[in-house]
Parts: sequence; C-alpha cells; structure tokens
Amino acid sequence: MTTNKIIEAIRQPWQLQLIRFSPYIAGALILVMLPAVMPSYVQTVWTRFLVFALFASSYDLIYGHAGLLSLGHAAYFGAAGYAVAALILHYNVDSLWISLSLGILIAVLVSAGFGFLALRVSGMYFLLVTFAFGEALYAFTWNMPWLSTPGMQGIAGLPRPSLGIPGFSWNTLNFYYFILIIFLICFFLVYRIMNSPFGHALRGIREGESRMRALGYNTWLYKYIAFITTGAFAGVAGTLFIYYNRFISPTHVSVTTSFMPMIMVIIGGSGTLLGPVIGALVIVFTEYFASLFTPERWPLILGAVFVAAIMYARGGISIHLSRLWKRLNNRYGSIKS
Amino acid sequence: MELVLASLTNGISFGMVLFLIASGLSIVMGLMGIVNLAHGALYMVGAYVGWTIAVQLKLNFWLGVFVGGIAGALAGLLIERAFIRRLYKQPNEQVLLTFGFVYILSNLIIWIWGGHRRLQFTAPALYGSMDVAGMPFAKDRLAIIGIGIIIAVILWWLQEKTRFGAIVRAGMDNKEMTTGLGINLELVFTIVFFLAAFIAGAAGVIGAQLLGAYSWLGTDILLWALIVVVVGGLGSVQGALLGGIAIGLIDTFGKALFPQLAMFTIYLAMIVILLAKPSGLLGRKA
Repeated sequence: MTTNKIIEAIRQPWQLQLIRFSPYIAGALILVMLPAVMPSYVQTVWTRFLVFALFASSYDLIYGHAGLLSLGHAAYFGAAGYAVAALILHYNVDSLWISLSLGILIAVLVSAGFGFLALRVSGMYFLLVTFAFGEALYAFTWNMPWLSTPGMQGIAGLPRPSLGIPGFSWNTLNFYYFILIIFLICFFLVYRIMNSPFGHALRGIREGESRMRALGYNTWLYKYIAFITTGAFAGVAGTLFIYYNRFISPTHVSVTTSFMPMIMVIIGGSGTLLGPVIGALVIVFTEYFASLFTPERWPLILGAVFVAAIMYARGGISIHLSRLWKRLNNRYGSIKS
Repeated sequence: MELVLASLTNGISFGMVLFLIASGLSIVMGLMGIVNLAHGALYMVGAYVGWTIAVQLKLNFWLGVFVGGIAGALAGLLIERAFIRRLYKQPNEQVLLTFGFVYILSNLIIWIWGGHRRLQFTAPALYGSMDVAGMPFAKDRLAIIGIGIIIAVILWWLQEKTRFGAIVRAGMDNKEMTTGLGINLELVFTIVFFLAAFIAGAAGVIGAQLLGAYSWLGTDILLWALIVVVVGGLGSVQGALLGGIAIGLIDTFGKALFPQLAMFTIYLAMIVILLAKPSGLLGRKA
C-alpha cells in the first residue's frame, strides 16, 4: 500500500504535466498528421494558415501584450517580402538562409525607424501614425519601378527557397512541413518572450504605464524593443509568405493586409499564446470556403465576422476554449493533487 | 503665373475637401476619444449616392450633395447607436469595430453600384471656367473653395460661439465633470457623430467634382484625412482647416515640382510635424 502511494506521488507530476500540455500536444499532432492525409490544395491552405498564424502571433506581441494598437503591421511583413522578392528578381539569390536573414534585417530596420517616430506620440495619434507609415510604404512600393516585374505591379514568378541540399525538390507536403518547423521555432520563441521578465514588464506597461515608470522601468525603451521584436517576427512571416505565395504586390504592404493579423488576434483572443493561432485558423479556412462560394463577397463576410467577434466574443475564442478545458479538467481530470 | 495660379486653386480646393472630411474625424476623435476609421467609407457612401442622384437620375447636383450627406449621416448614426455605443469605454475595440465597417460598407457599395470607376461630375452651371481679374479659374474649384469656407465658418461658429459648441469643448476636456453638470453627453456624442457623418457624406459629393468615385476611395480618403489630422492637430475646426489646406497645397505643388516623388511630400510633411510638434499645428492635447 505504501509503495503504491509512493509510486503515485512520483507519477503525479508527470501525469499532471501531460494533462497540462495535452492541448498543445494534441494541436501539434493535428498540425503534423492532418495535412498529410489531405489533398494537396488543402495542404496549401494549411501552409497559408501557418504563415498567417505566425504573422498574427507577432502582432499579438505588440497589441495583446504591450497594448499598442498599431494599424501598419503589414509594413514589416511586406518590407521583408519585397526585400526577399527583389533579391530573387534582381540578383537571383533564393537561398533560404540569405533571404530569411535579409527579410528579418529589413523588417527590423523598418520597424526600428517607424517605431522611433510612432512612439513619440501615444493613444490615438499612435494609431494614426502607424496607419500613415504603413500607407507610405505602400505608396513607395507602388511607385518604385525597381520593385516590380517589368509590365506589372508587383513581383511575380518567385520560386520556392533553395535549402542547399542536393537532390531535394519541393512538393506541397514537404513545403508545409518546412513552414511548420519554422513556425514551431518562432512559436516557441514567442512563448519564451511572453513568459520572460520582458514580457511581464510589457503587460505591466499595458496595464499602467505611469506605475511602471514609477517603478523605475524605462517604458519607452521596453515599448521600442517590443516594436522591433514584433517587426522581426513579422519579417519571418513575410519571408515565408513570399515562398508560399510566390507573388507580392503593394496590397501586401497596405492596410488590407495589416487588417488580417488584427482580426485574427481579436477573434482568437489577444494577449494569449494560442489565440492568434486559433484566429488564423478560423479566418484562413473561412476565407478558403468563402473563396469557393462567393469570392467577391469575402470582404463583406470578413467585416461582418469581425464586427460580430468584437461585439459578442470579445475575449476571443481561446478564452472560451480554455474555460471549457478547465471545466472538463475539473470534471474528468481525475488526478487531484 | 497661370500655372502657379491653377495649382493654387487646385491645391486649395483639394485642401477644402480634405478639411471637410478631416473636420468631422477630428472632432469625433477629440470628443469621443475614438478614431472613426469608417469615416472614409461614409464619404464614399455619400459620393456614390450623390452620383446616383446627379448623374444617373439627372437630378439637381445640390440635391445630390444633400441626399449624399443624409445617406452618410444615416449610416454613421447606425454605426454609432447600434455598435460603438455598446462598447462604451473600450477605445481599442471601438476603433477596430469601425475598421470592420470599412470592409462592410465598401463591399456593399461595390455590390450595389458595381466596381467600375465613376468619373468626376458637377453641377451643369459649374462646367468650364470664369475670369477673375483677367485670370481664368475653373468654376467647380471655386465652388468647392466657397463651400469649404462657408462650412468652416459655420463649424467655427458652432464650436466657439454656441452653447452646444461649449458643451462639446467641455466634453473634450473633462467628460466626468461635464456629465456631472447634468449634461447628457451620450446625446451629444450621437449628435456630433451624426453631424460629422453628414459632413463626410456631403463632402463625398462635393469631393467627387475632383476625385470621382471608385472602389478603394474609402481607405484612400481616410488616409488623407488622418494625415491632415496629424498635421493640423485633433479636436478643432481650425486645425482641420489649416491642416487640410496645408496638405492640399503641399501635395499639389509637390506633384507639380517633383513628379517623381508623388505622394512622398505629404509623408515628409507629416514626419517633420511629428518630429517638431507631435500634437500637430493647432492641436488640443491628446
């Protein structure tokens, strides 16, 4: 009897751990297994979902955690995308490692520049300024002939990245896994950042900036670093987007694209780890089904879903899911410590 | 000389359109503490309704201006009463909500009117040009400038000289105190929002003399209006007027002098203002 108790005591933490992480493990299993058994055009939708989930996660760092409502998030996404696309178009360099570093670098530079100016103001002005900067970049990409394939608006005909492995060729499934690996790495990094002292400080600033300042935090610097970090992740998403979409146009820098991570974060739940991912899942697959039935009404559906989410599901889907999870856990989660 | 004069009329008339759209945006921002991102979409509603009245049905252009204003105002009223009102004291959510309406309204307009571009239209009396002091001026441009001045004066009078304006200004400075004095601030919000949406809708028809109407007009004009508010400063009619004319002139002369820089001159103006005076030229405190 006593031995049984000891064994149970040893086993408990492990089982608790398993239960605690089981949603993540289930999610990871779905991401690994499910697309493999689906037709290849659905695999493409899954790839799109991962790219946007990463984009939305990057947005959640600045909106959900630092509480800064930025309307120009596509600027970093699109800047990285254009840098990578131009590299391919003009210099024929499609090595993953070079383009990923360049994409991140450009996104960081753009966000560092924008952030420096935008963080001079706060509140509503911040929103105006980020919006205007995003559109400035849009005008820039629109007007620079260097950033277009001759005869069209944007850069088309882009290849998949070369990994430098001889004899390797892409198909939709291994491309999906490639994106999945990068996504999981970034997701883990976002998780670590969120749970670091830096992440806690950001949430402190969101809740009461003057209080944090009184505690001796240089809040401006924290927000600035958050701005650049979010830009870097958006840059990764932008680079991946190029390789997924194989085409970039000024739209991908504009407010239309900035809107996507915002709506995903809102629908999924801001300030949570899984929220942006769930939001991206909902939006990308709704978009896919809408494009099958009424592609021209998609913006209307998107807008209506967005308004409904803000009005009636303000905490986001992930809040409801986690509540459900807790309830299930209490009812069936047999192990009581 | 003639070229400079033409650019001047073009710049000021465009600036007046910007003033009309930015004034409502700026007052709503100052009073209610939210950026109505659907303001450009309301302008667009006005432009298309005005087109239907003035071009499709061949009715009076000024009737088009009025009905366009009413259409914008009703759409605005619906957004305010049915949606924004329910998200009381959650400015981020309110702003995001209005962004959703940009999509809804723009797509509904394309659904109703179709996606093709509508050319500029104006009243028959305003075609051609007239001579002022030996110089030819386009009549529709002069009409826009005239309307802009009249509305600026009316708004200024409303803001500075009436009891209602005093309440609005008090509401901008201190909401709790204003409510505490027995003023129904909710009602004031609705009236101001209605008025701003009306001006936006009417501005859509007035501005159609320069810009016509097209499917991404809503976000286009919103961007201009936001830049005007950043430059002019939010919360006052004077700021919107100064910002509007400044941006209109900078853009017109920028395009004439440095055509390869196109849109950049206005962004440059905005960045300079941000670095030198983040609250705008004539801004109240944010």
